[in-house]
Amino acid sequence: MSEPMAVFDAAVHPRMLVNNQIYDYMVEPFKGLVYNTPNRFFHPVPTGIAPYGEWLDQSRPDGEVITTAAGAYTAREPGSVPERTREYLVGNGVRGAVLNPTLRGLQPAADQGDAICAAYNDWLAATWLSDTVDGVEYFGTIRVNPMNAAGAAKEIARWADHPRMIQVGVPVESHHPYGQRYYLELWEACAAHNLPVAIKAEGGVGVEYFPTMTGLPRTHIEFSALHRDRFYFHLASFIAEGVFDRFPDLRIIFSDGGFDMMTPAMWRMDMDWPITRTEVPWVKRLPSEYLREHVRFVTNSLEGPPGEDPDLVAEWVERTDAAHLLVYGSGYPLWSSMAPAEVFPHLGAEDRARILSGNAEALYGPRIAASVR
Amino acid sequence: MRSTHIVGSVDELPSGSYKFVQAGKFGIGVYNVDGEFRAVTNYCPHRGGPLCVGRRYPVIDSPAPYEFEVSGGDEILKCPWHGWEFDLRDGESEVGKKRIRTHKVRVEDGTVYLEGV
Repeated sequence: MSEPMAVFDAAVHPRMLVNNQIYDYMVEPFKGLVYNTPNRFFHPVPTGIAPYGEWLDQSRPDGEVITTAAGAYTAREPGSVPERTREYLVGNGVRGAVLNPTLRGLQPAADQGDAICAAYNDWLAATWLSDTVDGVEYFGTIRVNPMNAAGAAKEIARWADHPRMIQVGVPVESHHPYGQRYYLELWEACAAHNLPVAIKAEGGVGVEYFPTMTGLPRTHIEFSALHRDRFYFHLASFIAEGVFDRFPDLRIIFSDGGFDMMTPAMWRMDMDWPITRTEVPWVKRLPSEYLREHVRFVTNSLEGPPGEDPDLVAEWVERTDAAHLLVYGSGYPLWSSMAPAEVFPHLGAEDRARILSGNAEALYGPRIAASVR
Repeated sequence: MRSTHIVGSVDELPSGSYKFVQAGKFGIGVYNVDGEFRAVTNYCPHRGGPLCVGRRYPVIDSPAPYEFEVSGGDEILKCPWHGWEFDLRDGESEVGKKRIRTHKVRVEDGTVYLEGV
């Protein structure tokens, strides 16, 4: 199905050609330190049984040799070949896309974590963002290390004037809920530069906490279905700690699901707000009233009501305010990548247009305007 | 039948204190709020809880996140059942649209009277 409007993809996750490519962009003394890049998470994914393959088959390199300013590599990592990404996006009718590379979550050494983020930013700017690509315009994500909010603010300042860097990226894995005071300097920098913050799942279960509060799930199906509840802990924290009241320009976009559990969770939080108001008197509005102004979720092919009953989908969209809160993003090159045609095909044209491009334009502003017209 | 009840002398009811009067169906609490007397039916409009068993609190506001602005008095009465809070000065709930039942209080010759119950 071809879309009548230009589609904007808010979640494309390019990867380096080979693991060691990061050393082309690392600076000393961190260049000399081993960065363990387990490019997989540790739960046994049923790889190889299409379409459940961890990566989209189309994204797997097939001997392509890619030349960068730093050297030539035979691409090995899925999602690392720009031409394959371009082909996928153009095939989806996508005219503009935000690239948010997959890192490995938190590092035990915070300074090394800073250096890794900086290296990814330099790599993205020197490769994907500097190439002119036929048919699609790329925008970038300033990756920062939330373990060092002051360092993150500096990294944001280093890139804020780059015409293609349009958001800040942090992992969903963190050592505190993101609303807490340790991160204020980071969010302040994002708001000051008018950059939305993308929060994305990426840990390989390294030094971050368990993906569930009760410990590590044993199986992939548990991890896959339930890890997204972490987004809600961050959302509740942002609201309760008054981060949105403190920074009225701050916008958060959750890039890896969680939307389908958000609505009942917010109902619950609304319920407690009246009697705990003196605990958080700075939260002036019902928690759910902060969503439209400050919070977006990327579409996810694994979420939403099961089946294709148009009435059920329409009711779900209405109850969850999906037409205003969802922003289309494919998640490429994950096996679960979502094409625009899969985004609520029976929904009204106006609401679909919001999800496929309008909400992104409102979120990212004039810098992407040429890509959504 | 409506009548007048003697609550007590003004001296017995300094600011911040209250007296419970066995009057009406549920009883009535008479509160001194910064020198003004307020009489409240012991019945929470939310679920009928014994409102007058609840504690009093200052008004807590916030000019900015992490900053608390605490009023000097104990203007808020909090129901012990579900935590609904009412401002004794106007009887309005702090959140939502509920109102507690209030009654007229008259002070004459150093005595506090509850009227029309």
